[in-house]
Amino acid sequence: MERKLVVAFSLPLQVIRPFAGFGRAAQVTVEHSGALGLLAWQTLVAIVRGRVRYRDVLQQTYIMGIQSLPIVFVTASLAGIVTSQQGGYQIVSTSPRYLLGTLVVQSIVLELGPLLTAIVLVGRIGARITAELGTMVVSEQIDAFKSLGRDPVSVLGAPRIIAGLITMPLLVGFADVVGIAAGIIAANLDAGLGTETFLYGARLFWHNWDLFYGFSKAVVFGFIIPLISVHMGLRTAGGAEGVGLTTTNAVMFMILTLLILDAMFPPLLLQ
Amino acid sequence: MITYRNVHKAFDKPVLSGVSFTVESGEMFALFGPSGTGKSVLLKTTIGLVVPDRGDVEVDGMSVYHGGRSAVDDVRRKSGYVFQHAALFDSLNVYENVAMGIPEDELASLPKRDTAHRVWDVLENVNLDPHEVMAKIPSELSGGMKKRVGIARAIVGRPKILLWDEPTTGLDPINTAAIERLIHRLSTELEVTSILVTHDVEGGLQMCHRVAMLEGGTLRFIGTPAEFRSCPDPVVRAFVDRAAAEAALDMVTESR
Ligand SMILES: Nc1ncnc2c1ncn2[C@@H]1O[C@H](COP(=O)(O)OP(=O)(O)O)[C@@H](O)[C@H]1O
Ligand SMILES: [Mg+2]
Repeated sequence: MERKLVVAFSLPLQVIRPFAGFGRAAQVTVEHSGALGLLAWQTLVAIVRGRVRYRDVLQQTYIMGIQSLPIVFVTASLAGIVTSQQGGYQIVSTSPRYLLGTLVVQSIVLELGPLLTAIVLVGRIGARITAELGTMVVSEQIDAFKSLGRDPVSVLGAPRIIAGLITMPLLVGFADVVGIAAGIIAANLDAGLGTETFLYGARLFWHNWDLFYGFSKAVVFGFIIPLISVHMGLRTAGGAEGVGLTTTNAVMFMILTLLILDAMFPPLLLQ
Repeated sequence: MITYRNVHKAFDKPVLSGVSFTVESGEMFALFGPSGTGKSVLLKTTIGLVVPDRGDVEVDGMSVYHGGRSAVDDVRRKSGYVFQHAALFDSLNVYENVAMGIPEDELASLPKRDTAHRVWDVLENVNLDPHEVMAKIPSELSGGMKKRVGIARAIVGRPKILLWDEPTTGLDPINTAAIERLIHRLSTELEVTSILVTHDVEGGLQMCHRVAMLEGGTLRFIGTPAEFRSCPDPVVRAFVDRAAAEAALDMVTESR
């Protein structure tokens, strides 16, 4: 009897418990935002003072940009194909067929191009930077850096953040082109829609603003991914296990931040 | 001269709780203590790699923690730090690793040939063959070689202070003897103030002018090697001979 009562009373607690995480998450978010702001500021100062080596930026741009092309190619084509097929399925009988062109191009440029590319970069670049810097922390290489009078943020952080800012818009441009091309091909094969009709639909509802909107996302995402990963990497503690834990946390943190920022774009820029 | 004044540091639990002592200019000073008592933490407070919660460190009469950013930069420029596991930059080769030891502004104004000369000389000074190792990356080096490169990187900037964090731990006896001879030679040749954290008590006692024992967050002993050898404290005795170590096992803090 008593046991049953205890269970009954603790039931609401069991339900609430997962949500208690939100309070803590909010607190953690506030702490992190402060540190992220500081890191962004330090990066700016390092750039202005000319302490960032051009060669390091170039190297990071190569790693983030060129080496990401294959995976971005694959995700963007799949996004184009799937949008085209699903759109075709919905549109075919009820609306003018050229709307498929509108749908694919708008989805890719406004949403899928920037967001999917960003999520790919979280896995490919964000996790890598966090683990790389985290390993340097736990093996005392960051301490060694400081002991030699070097500043880890200027030498290690800034080039990665700048490279992200440069690379992301370029990759998103690439993803847009690939995604739309794949969409056209899929529309052709699947719904028998000609390229002319597809492009007619795309042009009919096109605003140049859309491109600006998509690329604004790219710039923001390209900045936030390396910023979070550098921040998380440099605050790693506790050996190899710590590196693993920090990397997982960093990936979660980046993806959540991207989704939240993505949700903030329409009310701010699509009025 | 390096003075630790009432240095406190806690992480999850207190590590240093009021450490005070002075190391004179040109002195060789050894710091012993069981693993995990905060020897590395103490050494790191000297150059601001760990910031004390309370207390201060003074180097040549200048406060490290009350002199702003430039005070930390100054003491870092004056010091060479030899890390426990060498902490070489694993994306750079030996040459680049050692060259990083030259202060940034100096390196920028130094002609490439002079930099190369300096790296070459310092590698020879730590008994490495520059020809052989210069282009290697750290993962291609043996443990003893890594430590030597770490030492080369610490001294290439011509420091006045050398901080050694267990430079011989994990080395075989022959390498240990070689590195210790190197430490002794460099410390006298370069006329530096040295603080040597080591588990090789015999080596430390032979080389150093004074020694100290850190245990339970404070200095349990400080004095000359002769005083250390004759100290009746059981924990100190444990470091002097192995048999006493067994006896003292229960007396030290459970912090391993
Ligand atoms: N950055 C850190 N974060 C949390 N705990 C730390 C950190 N650095 C050291 N500690 C803790 O401080 C204690 C002393 O460590 P350390 O100075 O490395 O010992 P040792 O005397 O072996 O060099 C250990 O318990 C260690 O876990
Ligand atoms: Mg240590």
